[in-house]
Amino acid sequence: MTGSQKMKVNGVAIDDTFAEAFGMSGTALIITADSQKWANIAAQTMTGFGTSVIGCGAECGIDYEVPASETPDGRPGVRVLIFGFSPDAILPQLKNRVGQCVLTSPGSACYNGLESAQRLALSAGPRFFGDGWQQSKRFGGRRFWRVPVMDGEFTIEDTVGVTTDAVGGGNLLILGRDRVGLLETAEAAVAAINKLPDVITPFPGGIVRSGSKVGSKYKGAVASTNNAFCPTLRGTTKSELDADTIAVLEIVIDGLTSKAVSDAMRVGLQAVTDIGASKGVTRVSAGNYGGKLGQHHYHLKDYVA
Amino acid sequence: MSGLRLRLKSAPVGRLDLSCLQPPVLTAETAANVARMPFEGGSVGDLFEVSAIGDADTLVLTGTTAACDGIGDHLKSGTIVVEGDVGSYAGRFMKGGRLDIKGSAGNYLGSGMKGGLITVAGSAGNFVGAMTPGEKFGMAGGVIRVGGDIGERAGDRMRRGTIVVKGKTGAMAGSRMAGGTIWAEGGFGPAAGTLMRRGTLIGPKAEQMLDTFADCGEHDMVFLRLISRFVAAELGPLAPAALPARVRRYAGDLATIGKGELLLTG
Repeated sequence: MTGSQKMKVNGVAIDDTFAEAFGMSGTALIITADSQKWANIAAQTMTGFGTSVIGCGAECGIDYEVPASETPDGRPGVRVLIFGFSPDAILPQLKNRVGQCVLTSPGSACYNGLESAQRLALSAGPRFFGDGWQQSKRFGGRRFWRVPVMDGEFTIEDTVGVTTDAVGGGNLLILGRDRVGLLETAEAAVAAINKLPDVITPFPGGIVRSGSKVGSKYKGAVASTNNAFCPTLRGTTKSELDADTIAVLEIVIDGLTSKAVSDAMRVGLQAVTDIGASKGVTRVSAGNYGGKLGQHHYHLKDYVA
Repeated sequence: MSGLRLRLKSAPVGRLDLSCLQPPVLTAETAANVARMPFEGGSVGDLFEVSAIGDADTLVLTGTTAACDGIGDHLKSGTIVVEGDVGSYAGRFMKGGRLDIKGSAGNYLGSGMKGGLITVAGSAGNFVGAMTPGEKFGMAGGVIRVGGDIGERAGDRMRRGTIVVKGKTGAMAGSRMAGGTIWAEGGFGPAAGTLMRRGTLIGPKAEQMLDTFADCGEHDMVFLRLISRFVAAELGPLAPAALPARVRRYAGDLATIGKGELLLTG
């Protein structure tokens, strides 16, 4: 961790440091259903267990609800984003998540949500559930599959766009002296970020309470607790925390473009500084690895007006 | 790049093959140069009055009759507007662009077509979007819209693409069909889908339905929404009203693999 506290906005100290993020691949789906409720259920299910690419295979989240007038079939929908190390790494995640969570969801359909020349075979797994009864229909340049299921047909687009210009790991660390107040502040920041397109905050409710460091004293553990940011260890380890800090929460941001992540960093930090002081937030920092691992650096000072 | 108008000076006495009239080639030249181009043993100017028009990359043919064959053959880009009837093979093997026929069309309209849009204000003859003898498949892409009726065997061995007919089809529409969609607002004539393997026929009714089509019941399918929106986007004001939420599905032709379907909207 680098940086020192040099700025203060609305009573909240801003570290002179940066979030270090990594190049990733990303894709987007539009999931529709008979109602917004069921589109949301399918989307929430398929993006579940998608917090970290290390342990979950992909980082997933809901981008936004899509009004019926803007979906391919005129029904309410949800746009979800899926991030992985590479297009090849995303493909099995698509197959499993769509096959197990969208295909199975009543009334659902699944379409491409990202225009890109590079494509992934979205239907490669789910359409074979049709056991030979699946049918292909091509309208214009788009090909769809109709898979017979017990409530009628599951419609899925043949391919989905994928980008290798995505970014994963933008982040904000929110520090303070009131754990509940911190959580409310982080919630406000996530809500602000969620209004932006092309970004997700993949952790539970968009918030991480268990920031990690690389490595561990135990063999086989690739990451372990970030002891420098654990308030209960302040007296026993080389701590990065101030004397009055009793909690730290992190918001991790993935985006289809670096600009999307940068915009999310900006609105997230703005939301924290708007209400943070009254909620016990004392400081905002960001996680990095000294700048040598990630290609993308988002300096907090760039987002302070 | 401006457009050109070619006015046929007199009605042809025999068949007249106009397949060589391609907008990208002709509209790159001046009207005078086009008139001097060799054609049918003479020049274009011997048969047509050639003049420039404002619409870019557009060829307007005037005075054509049902003896004028092959208009829009292998068309890849640009627009051909025909202010009259056309003969056989209009839009054959068309790959892109647009062919608007203000009159009626003969046989084999859009035969082997792979892309682009054909509209016919009047009616069309037999074998719309079909193959010709010796070929493996018929229409493989694009959209054909006919304002009147169409003749027999529309979509014979059709593989992909969409045919929309405001009127009704003749007998055996979708015969030996391997894919694609025929949407007949006025319904289908006798024996629709004969030996159809795959593909979709949509209409309010079908005369003398084959016994080898199995009733699958009434269903609401998301795919109906997709095709309604696709056709509306392609045809604009010429598009039919959106399909109803539920249609009656008949699967066939069970004399073959039976993976085609006839969807009745009525």
